[in-house]
Amino acid sequence: MGDPGRGDGPGNTYSLRASARHRFKSSTVKECIRAILKEKLADVQYIPNDMPQLTMSLSEAIKDRLKEVGFDRYKMVVQVVIGEQRGEGVNMAARCFWDADNDSCAHDVFMNDSLFCIVAAFGCFYY
Amino acid sequence: MTMETSLSDTRVAKPWLTIWQQDVTHRKHVLNLFPSSLRPEIFWTSSNVTSKTILNMIFNADEAHNIVKECIESVLGKADYNHNKVNQWTAAIVEQSLTHLVKLGKTYKYIVTCAVMQRSGAGLHTASSCFWDTTTDGTCTVRWENRTMNCIVNVFAVAIIL
Repeated sequence: MGDPGRGDGPGNTYSLRASARHRFKSSTVKECIRAILKEKLADVQYIPNDMPQLTMSLSEAIKDRLKEVGFDRYKMVVQVVIGEQRGEGVNMAARCFWDADNDSCAHDVFMNDSLFCIVAAFGCFYY
Repeated sequence: MTMETSLSDTRVAKPWLTIWQQDVTHRKHVLNLFPSSLRPEIFWTSSNVTSKTILNMIFNADEAHNIVKECIESVLGKADYNHNKVNQWTAAIVEQSLTHLVKLGKTYKYIVTCAVMQRSGAGLHTASSCFWDTTTDGTCTVRWENRTMNCIVNVFAVAIIL
């Protein structure tokens, strides 16, 4: 038969679990997110026209940062929600169907006088 | 792409199996993560090993859209925004959607998020950025509103390639 290989894709490592160092740890990811939010949203006011651009750039920035941190064998999803601060009620929930050993998520909330921002990052192990 | 240099346990434990057989064992282990009622049928032939199985696996966003819409209608229906109940509602929407999506029986991992807001004229923006395989993975967003509240549900589906 020879070595099956996968052609162009990442090599077959036969590992079914992420090693401890490379696991998608909630705490590490949460700190990354917090740092980026503090840096990018410190003095930002809610301006309706600018918000779509800001949300998209924020989610790309967080995704790129997580890639740099080194979660090699993870497929990642980053969701950013920004809303105007008017004292209204908002409730957000998430459920996932995945492999609890390897996959995990992290979230953070940032608030200032004029806006609130929720970021949720999910990581799924790629076998 | 860095390769792990240390041999994994399965290789060391079963040196009498050929590489082909180890690969099959690895794939079968991943399939076993699914509860038996939902395990998808894969017929094992030697060609399964050398090519990606289920090559035409594409996320069906329309199907997911319909499923989620039904779940939202059944939970929120004609209700008005109620601060005490909103926790229950979001949890119910998310759980029901997830259950129905899993019943489709496809080898996908799902992430479902739901946000419910009072309609007070304030703006809300959501964006998501995903690092995945665009041929097999996909997403679907459902927006729903009534007189007193808005609801946004996102479904992300990540394929398991065996």
